[in-house]
Amino acid sequence: MNQVITVGDMKIGGKGDILVTHALGSCLGLMVYDPAAQVGGLLHAMLPLSKINLQKAAQNPYMFVDTGVPEMFRQLYEIGGQKSRMVIKAAGCGQPLGNSEMFQIGERNYTVLKKLLWKNNIMLEAEDVGGVISRTVYFDLSTGQVIISSKGVKKEL
Amino acid sequence: MGMNILIVDDSKVMRQMIIKTLKMSGLPLGEIHQASNGAEGFESLKAHWIDLVILDINMPVMTGEEMMNQMRQQKEYSDIPVIVISTEGSSTRIQRMEQLGARFVHKPFSPEKIRDVVYATLNLEGGS
Repeated sequence: MNQVITVGDMKIGGKGDILVTHALGSCLGLMVYDPAAQVGGLLHAMLPLSKINLQKAAQNPYMFVDTGVPEMFRQLYEIGGQKSRMVIKAAGCGQPLGNSEMFQIGERNYTVLKKLLWKNNIMLEAEDVGGVISRTVYFDLSTGQVIISSKGVKKEL
Repeated sequence: MGMNILIVDDSKVMRQMIIKTLKMSGLPLGEIHQASNGAEGFESLKAHWIDLVILDINMPVMTGEEMMNQMRQQKEYSDIPVIVISTEGSSTRIQRMEQLGARFVHKPFSPEKIRDVVYATLNLEGGS
């Protein structure tokens, strides 16, 4: 079943599901897949750190990278995912408004992600990050295949 | 059987980061040996079976370039693959080491970059 993940949201699923998220600009799109259990999840997080609004983070952890990523992993463990098998890919973290963007949100989202992964001994399998483009991600949970579409061009990540 | 790797860098923190990266990368690891300069590194080469050397350039006592030159001059060490991880800015020095067969990774590095270069150097499947 096709499921759309909106900004500040996350969904997990299994074989037969396709997770889609649109308009990844400075937001982080994180795709995690366990090929043995055939389960995976897609997170579309907006901002790097939850400390700017802890109340909001408690209501919706997926808004922030530092709360959304651990919560997605927790949920994947619950449906049979195992950390040692997980394949992790990242997309987004761009500068859709160009270099003049004041807060560098995309870059900070990426930095917080990399710190989190490093602390937890995890590496990215692949990434398509940065730049001034907007991206759409199609994540097939039957195969783990990730397709990134941007400006009408599709490529596999 | 795992790969025996020698890490030569004068910074203990950097050696620890490289070791963590190697463990994260899913490589079949054997023994990991450490040295804090080229001279110590060379002694370690003599004492252990080493499959790959990860080498800094700017170190006291003996630089990475000097160590690599010595390695290439001695038959028993001349074909051990070398990955240079350094802040080195001199492109001529980098080129000299690349001509001796080294692959170069700039500091600061991402763990993924190290993983990919190690897999490529050892002709292993994996990485990305």
